[in-house]
Order: sequence, then C-alpha cells, then structure tokens
Amino acid sequence: MRKPDGKIVLLGDMNVGKTSLLQRYMERRFPDTVSTVGGAFYLKQWRSYNISIWDTAGREQFHGLGSMYCRGAAAVILTYDVNHLQSLVELEERFLGLTDTANADCLFAIVGNKVDLREEGAAESQEEDGHSPGMASGGCASLKVSKQVRPEDAVALYKKILKYKMLDEKDAPAAEQMCFETSAKTGHNVDLLFETLFEMVVPMILRQRSQGPAQTVDITSYKPPGRTKAGCCA
Amino acid sequence: MEAGGDAAAPAPGDAEDVEDTQFPSEEAGDGGDVHEGSPDPEDGGLEETGPETKEQPPDLLSPLPQSEAPSCTCGLWSPAASENSPMGGPESGSGSQGGDPSDEDWRSKRKHVFVLSEAGKPIYSRYGSVEALSTTMGVMTALVSFVQSAGDAIRAIYAEDHKLVFLQQGPLLLVAVSRTPQSASQLRGELLAVHAQIVSTLTRASVARIFARKQNYDLRRLLAGSERTLDRLLDSMERDPGALLLGAVRCVPLTRPLREALGALLRRCTAPGLALSVLAVGGRLVTAAQERTVLAECRLDPADLQLLLDWVGAPAFAAGEAWAPVCLPRFNPDGFFYAYVARLDAMPVCLLLLGTDPEAFHDMATCRRLVEDGMHTLGAMRALREAASFSNASSASAPAYSVQAVGAPGLRHFLYKPLDIPDHHRQLPQFTSPELEAPYSREEERQRLSDLYHRLHSRLHSTSRPLRLIYHVAEKETLLAWVTSKFELYTCLSPLVTKAGAILVVTKLLRWVKKEEDRLFIRYPPKYSTPPAAPAASADQASHNGLFTGP
Repeated sequence: MRKPDGKIVLLGDMNVGKTSLLQRYMERRFPDTVSTVGGAFYLKQWRSYNISIWDTAGREQFHGLGSMYCRGAAAVILTYDVNHLQSLVELEERFLGLTDTANADCLFAIVGNKVDLREEGAAESQEEDGHSPGMASGGCASLKVSKQVRPEDAVALYKKILKYKMLDEKDAPAAEQMCFETSAKTGHNVDLLFETLFEMVVPMILRQRSQGPAQTVDITSYKPPGRTKAGCCA
Repeated sequence: MEAGGDAAAPAPGDAEDVEDTQFPSEEAGDGGDVHEGSPDPEDGGLEETGPETKEQPPDLLSPLPQSEAPSCTCGLWSPAASENSPMGGPESGSGSQGGDPSDEDWRSKRKHVFVLSEAGKPIYSRYGSVEALSTTMGVMTALVSFVQSAGDAIRAIYAEDHKLVFLQQGPLLLVAVSRTPQSASQLRGELLAVHAQIVSTLTRASVARIFARKQNYDLRRLLAGSERTLDRLLDSMERDPGALLLGAVRCVPLTRPLREALGALLRRCTAPGLALSVLAVGGRLVTAAQERTVLAECRLDPADLQLLLDWVGAPAFAAGEAWAPVCLPRFNPDGFFYAYVARLDAMPVCLLLLGTDPEAFHDMATCRRLVEDGMHTLGAMRALREAASFSNASSASAPAYSVQAVGAPGLRHFLYKPLDIPDHHRQLPQFTSPELEAPYSREEERQRLSDLYHRLHSRLHSTSRPLRLIYHVAEKETLLAWVTSKFELYTCLSPLVTKAGAILVVTKLLRWVKKEEDRLFIRYPPKYSTPPAAPAASADQASHNGLFTGP
C-alpha cells in the first residue's frame, strides 16, 4: 500500500460541513452527505507526496476516537459553521484537546464554513435559497445575527490555540494565513484552504525525512502502553 | 388457552381488515384447528425469560391483567386530558405541529417506537419530534413504575386494535405502540433489535455508566446522528421482515466454486488483531471468515451479523475508507470492535474487516488491498457486479433473483430457511427469498404481505399451540406456511390457486431450492482463518462470553 507521507485531520462539531468540504475538494461537487460514522480516510496525491486526510465524525458518540485520528497529524483543520457561534465554542472546548497527539509542529487552520448561508456581508454568494438537507442544523437563514461568527472570533481562537500549544506567535504561521471562510456549496475558498495546507505540509514532510528514516512518522512517543486494552474480550 | 386471551384482548386488526384475520381453510399439522389470532399474553410471558428479566422479581412471568389496559392507554394519547376519544376511533385531536400526540397524522401511524430513559427522558421516537412527546413518555414511565412498585413488570397492554409492548433494558425503556397484526413477541423482537442498534454504537456498559452517574442525562447527545440509522432499521424490518422473523441472514446467490474461492481468499488475507472479515453486497452476505484466535468457538450470532450487514450498507460508508468502533451486542455488549469498511471497486461490493486494535487502520487497509487484488485475480468483481445488477431499479444494488426463476406459475413470493444444515452448530442461519415483484410493488401491498407473514409466523411459533402447516386464503392472495425438521417455509400464492395446486407449487419450489441450494446458501461456511487450537473447554468459553448460539 502507498504509505501516506503526511496526515491532515478535519475536526469540528457535527453538521458544520466537514464531509462536504472534503467532497467539494476531492470530487468537485456538493452532494447531500450523511452523518459520518467514525472517520473516513482519503488519500490525496500532492506533487510526489501522498497526503492522507481523515474526515472525522463530529458526533459526540465518536469523541473517544478523535485523538487516535490526530496521532502524528501534520495539520488539523478545525471547522465551524459561521452561522452558529456554538460550533466555534465547541472547537475550543471539545476538539482542541484531541490534538494533543498531533505532531509537535502541527499546523492549525480555523475554517468557517457555510458562508453562503450568511445573511449579510457575504458578498461571495447570493444563494440564500434555504439550506440543503445534508447540512441540516444551523443552516436556516433565520438565525439571529448574534449567532454569527465574525472573522475576528476565529483569529482570537487561533491565537488561543497557539498559546495552548505554547508556540510563539512569531514562529507559527500568521493568523490571517490560517483562518479561512469557505463554502462547500459554492466552492468558495475550498481549494485555497486545502492547497495552502498541502503546500505547508510538504516542507514538514521533507524536514521529517531529513531527520532520518526512523522518525518518518513520529508516533512512537504517543503510542498507548498496551495494544490489547481496548480489546473486545478484555 | 385461547379463550382467556381472547376475552380480554380482542384480536388486533379485527375491525379494519376482516379478510386477513379469517382463516377459512386451514390444515393444522398438529390436528388442532385454529382460532382467531389471540395475542395471548402467555406468549410473551413464557417465552422471554431472557436477559431483560434478570434483575426483575421472579413473579414477573405472570401475565398482566388486561382488563384495565384500555383506560390506561387512552391516557397515553391525551396527555392534556382534553380529549377522550378511544385510540382507534376517529381522532378528535386537531393537527398541530408534527409529533404532537394530538396530531392526527402522527396518531394514525401504524407503529410507533419510543426509547426513553428510566427517568422518563425522551431519547428516540420513530415519528415526530421527541420534544413534543415528553408528556406522553412521562405517562409511559408512570405505567412502568406503577407496575414495578407492585413488584411486577409490565410487558404488554392490549387495547382494542392496539398493542403496547414494553421492554426494559438496563436504564433504557423501549415501547412499541402498534396496530399491525404483529404479535407481542414479534414486537418485542423488534424492540430488542432497536436496543441492539443503540448498544452497537454506545455499548451497554457505557449506557449503564452514563445513567449511573447522571440519572437524567440526555442520551440524545450521544445518539445524535444515529436516529436515522434507527429509522432505517425500523423501515427495513417493516418492509423486509425475513431476517428478523427467521433469525437468519440472506446470502447473495453465487456459484459454489466462486463463493468458496472468496472464502479462501478472506481466510488467507489476515491482519494483526483481525477477528472477522465479511464480504457483502447490498446488505446481503457473500461470505465471511472468522479468526479462530479471537472469536474462538463463538460462532457469530446471526443477529450480530445482520446488524453488521445493515450497518455497512449505510450511506455513510459510500466514500473513502472508514474506521469506526462498533459493538456486537450478542457477542459482547460491553466492548467495542474496530471496523474497517470500504466499498471495493465495484461500488456495491463492501468489505468489512473487524478487529480489536483501535490503531490497526493501516494494517486493515493493507489487508483490504490483498483482498481486492485477490478478487481481481479470481474475476470475482464481474460476477458480483452481475449478481448485484439483476434487481429492479427500486432496490438499488440489492442482489436478488426473480420468483420466475423457480418456474412455478402462481407462486408470487416466498421465504425459505433451511434447517437441515450440515455441521449444524457452526452453520450460520440463512434464508432466501426472491425480489418482491408485482403485485407487491407498492408500499401498501408490501405491508400487507409483511403483515401476513407475521401472522403466519406467530401461528407457527405460538408457544401454547405451535402449528406445522397453515393454508390461509386471504382476500388478495393465498398463503401456505410449513415448518418441518428440514426447513421453514412461507409462500405467497395467487388467490385463485386451489389447495391441490398450492401443494404442487410448493413441491416444485422445494425441488428448485434443493437443486439450487449450493448457489442460494453458504452450505459449507469457511472454517477459521488460523488452524484450530485444542478444542478443549470451548463450550465453556462460549457460555462465558454470553454468546447466544443460533437456532
């Protein structure tokens, strides 16, 4: 099997459109999606590298798996719904902790999806014709403005994450570069998001390779002590 | 015995579809003639002393007095106590928002299924919004705890044309409210399947833990996203009752050499911690291989296998390679397996690899590639695609065959489950049935047939008076159900068939099944992937695992 060279993980609350973003990028379409079960693995060829992308379930039911998907990740895409402030709050409260297993130099992108449904200030799209069945909750155009997320909120979260990771703002990519507003429905900024990340992940892959083959995948230090502990017959 | 039951509990459906409850001509294999379907409470009381009764007081088995039932159930439907119309009668409630119990549309559903917590917190409702139902569910909790306080447990209420079946499973209460002709024990079977579905996503242990910590926890938080899975499960049980009624799985018809080659391929392709590999198309089994060291002597329960087959058929697995935890409730309700699910390059063909290591995704993905390569070498993809493409457009990608293949004019549909299987213990229970074709293309027709199968099944398997053979002339079709030591068979025939003609058709069908059995069934299921260890104490182990062995 083609061994992936780097890993990118999509995290975020349910119904923010993680699967739709990935489908838009990989298949250039916006199909109705259903609630993801566990996580789905995709492989993307970028230049000469294989980059694996994990589309995870936002459901609380699968929360325990999150840190497993993040293990050794080179980048994490934290996704929220711009019309639903709670989904941004959840990123900090519920999902940030899952990224502890990611690489030490892991990149973070904060992505506000569904800008096509935003009532005002969304010059990108005129499509206000209701919500699609696949992205049911939070998609209604009747949401109050107060629930909408401003780009500054995302930037603030990004800075909080850097603090949480004990990274100096000077060393990490700038917030303006890592905060995106997208629409999986119209395709707005979707390619930009993924391709920016791929471009940033490639040098990380190269850096890891130069550090010698033993460290190609830096997961050893995060491996749980026993493989059998979650065995079904335990 | 039917007298007692009948008096208090009028046969369901009597009022609405007379023709279905009549059995004008019957041959009862055991000599007795048959009376109106009495949903005798003893049925439930005697037969199900299983898991759910464990923590209950011993006098649970006594059937409930039914006479007081109707008044209780009226309460259920009029939580506001503003209306007193009997449930079956013309509803006086004016329609308001969906899910409100006074909503006529909501009330007119044939079957409701509710899941609630012991504290009465709504968790799931088949129809309507759960929020609107908290009062109704409160009444259900009250009923349950009222009977419980008397040291008893409520099992079912028979009220005019409705049956209410209650099933307590740990901290969860499941309730079916039905005016289908299904018996209480059949409804209980469906509730058990619903519970199994919940357990498969959360495990029994974690549900128990959650409610032990916080009694009024809102389990919907954890089940969010799973409601549609439950909807789908209930729909499929309604539309295609074979799997649940017969406790068996359906196989993709396939030539024996190809199936055996695929079985051998699955056994050859192993990965660390791999417990079970399953190849399926459209919810039907192609073949499966079990890892000896993991599952030991425990044969997979057909209910667990059916659950997996339904699960992998979910639209969520249509793209990418999925990795998700899943619990097999019959095998071990308290632990997770980790499942790799992928559609192989012919889209409908699905591979499931079940293991115990949560980190084994890449090993499983490697194993999948081995299977895929092997299948290409065998040319199996083409054969499976052909098997999958027969069916008519309505049921996308379900491999099946036409009843025409039998060559018995007058035969419309059948369910056949072989019982004379070699190596009985290890065999997985299977059944076969053709695609539903005209005149069963509309939803109402399918429902009618499903109802008839349910009636016949509950007759054949009545605990008080089981029958071996039923010849039933209904308004729009004639049915013949027959159980022997070799098979269990339900046939649906044209309404104009004579008794002699029906016997001829059934003889033809049996001959055809015999001829085709290598193709229709997995006659010789694959042995274990690794060489068997010493067989000592294997039976013990099975009982420790709490595994239910198939019939």
